[in-house]
Amino acid sequence: MRGPLRPLVALMLLGLAWPMTRAAATASGPLVYAAASLTDVLQQVGADYQRETGKAVKFSFGSTATLARQIESGARAELFVAADQEWMNHLAGRALVRRASRRDLVGNRLVLVAPVASTLQLEVAAGMPLRAALGQSGRLSLADPASVPAGKYAKAALTALGAWREVESRIVASDNVRMALLFVARGEAPLGIVYLTDAQAEPRVRVVAEFPPGSHPPIVYPAALTTNAGAEAAAFLEYLSGTAARRRFDAAGFVPAPMPQP
Amino acid sequence: MLSPAEWTALVASLVVGARAVVIGLPLAVATAWLLARAQFRGRALLDALVHAPLVLPPVVVGYVLLLTFGVQGPVGRWLDSVFGARLVFTSAGASLAAGVMAFPIMVRAVRLSIEAIDPGLELAARSLGAGRLDRFFSITLPLAMPGVIAAAIVGFAACLGEFGAVITFAANVPGETQTLPLAIYSALQTPGGEAAALRLALLSLSIALAALLLADWLGRRARRWTARP
Repeated sequence: MRGPLRPLVALMLLGLAWPMTRAAATASGPLVYAAASLTDVLQQVGADYQRETGKAVKFSFGSTATLARQIESGARAELFVAADQEWMNHLAGRALVRRASRRDLVGNRLVLVAPVASTLQLEVAAGMPLRAALGQSGRLSLADPASVPAGKYAKAALTALGAWREVESRIVASDNVRMALLFVARGEAPLGIVYLTDAQAEPRVRVVAEFPPGSHPPIVYPAALTTNAGAEAAAFLEYLSGTAARRRFDAAGFVPAPMPQP
Repeated sequence: MLSPAEWTALVASLVVGARAVVIGLPLAVATAWLLARAQFRGRALLDALVHAPLVLPPVVVGYVLLLTFGVQGPVGRWLDSVFGARLVFTSAGASLAAGVMAFPIMVRAVRLSIEAIDPGLELAARSLGAGRLDRFFSITLPLAMPGVIAAAIVGFAACLGEFGAVITFAANVPGETQTLPLAIYSALQTPGGEAAALRLALLSLSIALAALLLADWLGRRARRWTARP
C-alpha cells in the first residue's frame, strides 16, 4: 500500500467500527416506540418517571405504520404505543407483542380546525355544508385517509355524516396528522381535521367544532410490550397506566380510553 | 397488472417530471453557462445557492417552498392575486418541488460539458466576428449537447424519485401530486400493502434504469455526432 492511501484506509476501518461503539454507548433504558401524536405528552411523562424512579426511558416517535413495520423487521423496541388497533392487531397476529400486556392507554377526540384568523362557523352534523365552507377552491387538510389513523377516523366520520363524497376531491392528504395541522396553521388550507390534542398544541389554529363520538370508531391508543421487553419496560408500562401519567394525559387533552367494544 | 390508482400515480409522476424538466432545463443551461464561463460578482454565492438543494434535507426545501410559494407566502400570494394561480397542493407545485431538487444535478451535467469545451473554439468564433449569442448557439450549445441530454434525462429520473420536498410542499393528492414514491409510501403505511409497494418499487426501478441507459446511449451518439469533422 502506498503512503498517502494508508491514512484513508485507516479512517475507513475506523468508520466501520463506529456503529459498534455507538450501540454499546446507548444500551441503557428500554426503547419505547410511540405514535407521533403522543410526542409532547410522553416526553413529559418520561421526564416525570425519570425524576421519580431515577430510571431513564428512550423514545422513538413516528407514524404508527412506520413504527409497526420497524418492529416487524426486528427493531429493538420494548414497548409500543400505537394510534389505532389495526396496527397493533397486525403485530399481535404475528406474535410480536405480548397479548397479556396489551391495554388501551388513552383516547382522543376528532375536531374540525381552521386558521386562527378565520371567522368560519360550522356545526358538525349530518348534512353540514362542508364543501361550501371550503369556498371556491379551498382544500380540506387531513392525514392520509388510506393509511394514517387520524385520516381513517376522519374519513369514517365524514362518511357517517354524509359529507365524504362532496369533499373527497378537495382533500389534501398528509403523511401524518401534524403535517395536516401545519397546512391549516399556515393558512394554506381553510379547514382541516385533526385530533383535539394536536389542535390544543398549535396556537395558530382554532377548533371550529368537535366531531360527535358516535360518528367514527372510538379513538384509542393501545399499548403493549414487545416480545423482547425486559422488566424495566414492563415497569414503565405500569407507570403509563397510573394516576400520575393520567394527569399528564388529561392536561394535554386526551380522554380516558373508551370501553372496549364487544 | 397495475390498479387504476397505480396507473394514476405513474401518469402523475411522468407529468410532474416532464414539466419540471421542460421548464427547468433552459434555466439549468443558462445557469451552467454563467458558472462555467462568466466572471461576475456573487458567482460563488450563485454556485452555493444552486447546490443548496443537494445538501439540504428535502423536507427543508419543501418547507422553504411552502413559506415562499404557499398562498400565504410572498410569491404565492402575488401569483394568486395576479394570475389566480396556486402552486401548493397542485401538480405544478409538485413539479416546482421536484424541479428545484433536480436543478443542481442538471446544472452540474451541463456545466461539466461546457467546461470541457476548448475555449479556443469560442475565441476563434469571436475573432471571426460572431456575437455572444451566436457563439453560444453555434459553438457552445452544440458541443455541450451530450451534457444537456444527460441533464434532461437524469433530471427527469431524479424528479420521478423526489419524495421529501414534494410531500412537504404539495402533499399527497391522488391524481395531482401523488407520484410513484408517494404512492409507494402510502402503500407501505397500509397493513398488507407490501405487494402493491413492491410492484410500484419495481416499476420505478425500471423507469429509472431505462432513463439512465437511454441517457448513456444518447450521450454516446451525441459525442460521436459532435466529434464529426
